[in-house]
Amino acid sequence: MDEEPERAKRWEGGYERTWEVLKEDESGSLRASVEEILYQAKRKRVMETHGQVRLGMMRHLYVVIDCSRSMEDQDLKPNRLSSTLKLMEAFVDEYFYQNPISQVIKPVCFCETGNPKKHVAALRKAVDTVCAGEPSLYNALSLAVHTLKHMPGHTSREVLIVLSSLTTCDPSNIYELIKTLKSLKVRVSVIGLSAEVRVCTVLTRETGGFYHVILDESHFKELLMLHVKPPPASASSECSLIRMGFPQHCVASLSDQDAKPSFSMSQLDGDSPGLSLSGYFCPQCHAKYTELPVECKVCGLTLVSAPHLARSFHHLFPLQAFTESPVEQHTDRSCQGCQGRLKDRSVFSCPSCFSSFCMDCDLFIHDSLHCCPCCIHGPSVS
Amino acid sequence: MKLNIDGLLVWFPYDFIYPEQFSYMLELKRTLDAKGHGVLEMPSGTGKTISLLSLIVAYQRAFPLEVTKLIYCSRTVPEIEKVVEELRRLMEFYAKETGESNNFLSLALSSRKNLCIHPEVSSLRFGKEVDGKCHSLTASYVRAQRHSNPNLPTCRFYEEFDAVGRQVPLPAGIYNLDDLKDFGRRKGWCPYYLARYAILHANIVVYSYHYLLDPKIADLVSKELAKNSVVVFDEAHNIDNVCIDSMSVNITRRTLDRCQTNVDTLQNTIQKIKETDAAKLKAEYRRLVEGLKEANVARETDVYLANPVLPDEILREAVPGTIRTAEHFVGFLRRFLEYLKSRLRVHHVVQESAPQFLKDIFDKVCIDRKPLRFCAERLQSLLRTLEIADIADFSSVTLISNFATLVSTYSQGFTLIIEPFEDRTPTIANPVLHFSCMDPSIAIKPVFQRFQSVIITSGTLSPLDVYPKILDFRPVTMASFTMTLARTCLCPLIVGRGNDQVALSSKFETREDFAVIRNYGNLLLEMSAVVPDGIVAFFTSYVYMENIVASWYEQGILENIQRNKLIFIETPDAAETSMALEKYQEACENGRGAILLSVARGKVSEGIDFVHHFGRAVIMFGVPYVYTQSRILKARLEYLRDQFQIRENDFLTFDAMRHAAQCVGRAIRGKTDYGLMIFADKRYARADKRGKLPRWIQEHISDGSLNLTVDESVQRSKHFLRQMAQPFRQEDQLGLSLLTLEQLQSEETLKRIAQIAHQT
Repeated sequence: MDEEPERAKRWEGGYERTWEVLKEDESGSLRASVEEILYQAKRKRVMETHGQVRLGMMRHLYVVIDCSRSMEDQDLKPNRLSSTLKLMEAFVDEYFYQNPISQVIKPVCFCETGNPKKHVAALRKAVDTVCAGEPSLYNALSLAVHTLKHMPGHTSREVLIVLSSLTTCDPSNIYELIKTLKSLKVRVSVIGLSAEVRVCTVLTRETGGFYHVILDESHFKELLMLHVKPPPASASSECSLIRMGFPQHCVASLSDQDAKPSFSMSQLDGDSPGLSLSGYFCPQCHAKYTELPVECKVCGLTLVSAPHLARSFHHLFPLQAFTESPVEQHTDRSCQGCQGRLKDRSVFSCPSCFSSFCMDCDLFIHDSLHCCPCCIHGPSVS
Repeated sequence: MKLNIDGLLVWFPYDFIYPEQFSYMLELKRTLDAKGHGVLEMPSGTGKTISLLSLIVAYQRAFPLEVTKLIYCSRTVPEIEKVVEELRRLMEFYAKETGESNNFLSLALSSRKNLCIHPEVSSLRFGKEVDGKCHSLTASYVRAQRHSNPNLPTCRFYEEFDAVGRQVPLPAGIYNLDDLKDFGRRKGWCPYYLARYAILHANIVVYSYHYLLDPKIADLVSKELAKNSVVVFDEAHNIDNVCIDSMSVNITRRTLDRCQTNVDTLQNTIQKIKETDAAKLKAEYRRLVEGLKEANVARETDVYLANPVLPDEILREAVPGTIRTAEHFVGFLRRFLEYLKSRLRVHHVVQESAPQFLKDIFDKVCIDRKPLRFCAERLQSLLRTLEIADIADFSSVTLISNFATLVSTYSQGFTLIIEPFEDRTPTIANPVLHFSCMDPSIAIKPVFQRFQSVIITSGTLSPLDVYPKILDFRPVTMASFTMTLARTCLCPLIVGRGNDQVALSSKFETREDFAVIRNYGNLLLEMSAVVPDGIVAFFTSYVYMENIVASWYEQGILENIQRNKLIFIETPDAAETSMALEKYQEACENGRGAILLSVARGKVSEGIDFVHHFGRAVIMFGVPYVYTQSRILKARLEYLRDQFQIRENDFLTFDAMRHAAQCVGRAIRGKTDYGLMIFADKRYARADKRGKLPRWIQEHISDGSLNLTVDESVQRSKHFLRQMAQPFRQEDQLGLSLLTLEQLQSEETLKRIAQIAHQT
């Protein structure tokens, strides 16, 4: 959305020759054609995600961030690593916002909780990592396999790799490992920071993941956000009823004589110890936790709060895709979402209330709101 | 889909067509209509082969009397196989669409080595051995001897073919080499002779250049092909060199020594025969008196390395008396041999024309021109009479006699150079006599004269007007086609300076310059960090590559490169190179990434395709000029200037640029492919060099991509590679670079297509 101003700020862009980019735009060659293709891809993404498919709502996502020499490259500012980690923070937040009952596992931190704060903290720490040495896809993947292997069958097993290097030094044949991944139904997606690498193409194609290469930071962010949405569950994954606990938050006032400060069980992971009065108590074993969602350390029960489940709910009843039509057909030339003029070639209208939106609002509604603002607004008007 | 090409109905076996294919077919149709020759350039990967095949097959069906046969010449066996597979696809499409099986017979022909099914013979490793062994089993006199002595070994496949194979024509269909072998095994017929016989009535023949261009082979195989055939030379950018090679002879000291042994053997055999069967020699003598014409009527299996182009009138003359008897002829050979030996004993370089040589030989050893001319024929006749089974041993004496005939037949277009040592090792005596052809039109002239249409086509033929000049023919169409692209998938960059502003060039003066070598290394290092998977780097020669790589090693550049990618090197040794290639591909496949260092004009630059990830970038270090100090080249340049008014520099640049184009063209093998083309020499930026690149490369070189520094080119490459890595589907191409039938019929598209062909 705000791509243009961001690009304009790139005065330190060295040899990027912005004047040539402009020229190419005009003649409609390289950049224009590629952008056209990208526009189509954006559109396609919206269309695709709205089939009636079963989505895997409980996800186990294993994020691997390449920390090899090439991450020091400065084509993303200030360098690839910092930029990646910054975007990753946003990704983790967004991920847990939309998928509260899922897990992220990161090789840098290895925390099993679904707690976003810890990941963010771990990411901040990683900024200081010195990038050196050769990366190995094989080692990263086999590490991921070892962990994901034990995840229950009803959850999805995913690996997301942010790969900057163009080479991988593997101790063994990676194609064997790809076969293993395939048989374990692990989806591997890769985001490349420099260029298309063959082995990643094969890897993602075989395991059913996505492979994307970034153009710039904003595109990188877009690609990361793609992975927030849960993937369709494979037909063969088991269905099972899952026991969940909904602990209440108990607040004890200091004046209460019976209340005694106690430790939280999450302290076992080595989190900052602290005595507190309030917390969530597991309905099964009464272990205390300060934050949700979490898996109980004592009895293994998944503890969530009702709003968490509700947030996952929209995946089950996604908003219908809007219909696309050329701009000429519309008399009203303003978007119902942002109230701006409709500039694009096509307009998107909601199939139930027929209000029209521009491309960006369409994306926003489907990606973030998950409901049509006019439909909600509508009944009260009529 | 069904196309209407200028009124001709063409069946095209794909649902989509590239606009340039359509345009190509239009030009081709015009050429065939005019019954003339054509030069057509179209980038590789745009479906040249299928366009050619579908148009010509359609033409053959529409006008069966005007075009009876298509002769498709390709370079290597894998390429031949590819053509046959395309053809099979086309024919299946025909059968499916029209519902009738057509009676087209198409087949591939290759050497005995690739076609033999005899259990012992086919297990031999070298082509020459197979030929020799086959000959010893199937020659007419060997078979005649077998009548008296049935215990002699025989080839049952040939016997079977000879007995019945000729009466029953090969059923219509498409035969590649394996199909022929299968068919031969089933019937028990020799596939090689079957194929050679079948090409006479086949509609489409696919075989190697040499069957038409090399006069020694052409005489045997392609002699009886119909005049109203269409001949296509695919990948023909090197056709002049093939012509020249097929007419040139190199004689070393070793050849002469072996020849000496051959002559001794001949003498002994003659002695033996004289004691046992004097009548035979007498009969031969009589035959020779009657003239060569009759001697020439031999069975097709009596294949010695046959004579170079002998004008017909010579064949009708009688063999001169001086060499008519066997002993005299052997004596004559001996004399000739001694003379050659004495010539090779020189200590300085000699260059002379054919008439000068003839005069000298007459003065010194009294050998006349006339008997020399008959030398090749006479030797054949002798070998036949002596019933020598294994001709492979006699290759040296055959070579000498071929030389004798050539030198006395052609006074123009050839030069004779005797070098006492190689330029690089002036102390080691290694005398070589080069009798080299300088005029490629001599070998190809019969082809142009005999067949009604000859099409020369390749991905890189620019500048087009040079080929008609050096091959001496007048084309009716000359056209160059560009590649229509939905996205700019090739990115030519001319890197002229290093980061320290040192001019990059491989020219002779700066060849040893440390700064240039370092900057070249830097370029490769930087590129290895930003280009994924495979990079192919070409150098101008093996020597240059060795120097540079050694220097990089000392400077530690190689070590740094190896952190990003593995390094493989092409060597003159074929086995080593194919091993390196295999490992290179493996490294590209599993993500380690690799760099192949190879040489322009080498095996890699000519025949190996680097599709997709096998070649994401090609770096051309320097301008691949041919080694200009060679005397043969100098003589050829002189000849070109005198005869065709082509200036030396023009020809050298043309030759260098066509090889450079070949090299960089290795990376792009289709429209979904993409690759960087990096020309690392500042001379490429000059208009005379740039203007000689094919149009499909030239039009992507903008003024901004000339004379870049290493850093600039790295930035551009990064940008380009990211753009290209974005998802790209077939729908994106539709309408722009890929057309359906409906799109093809619209006015606008037709207008656009008209612009694709670039007439010269």
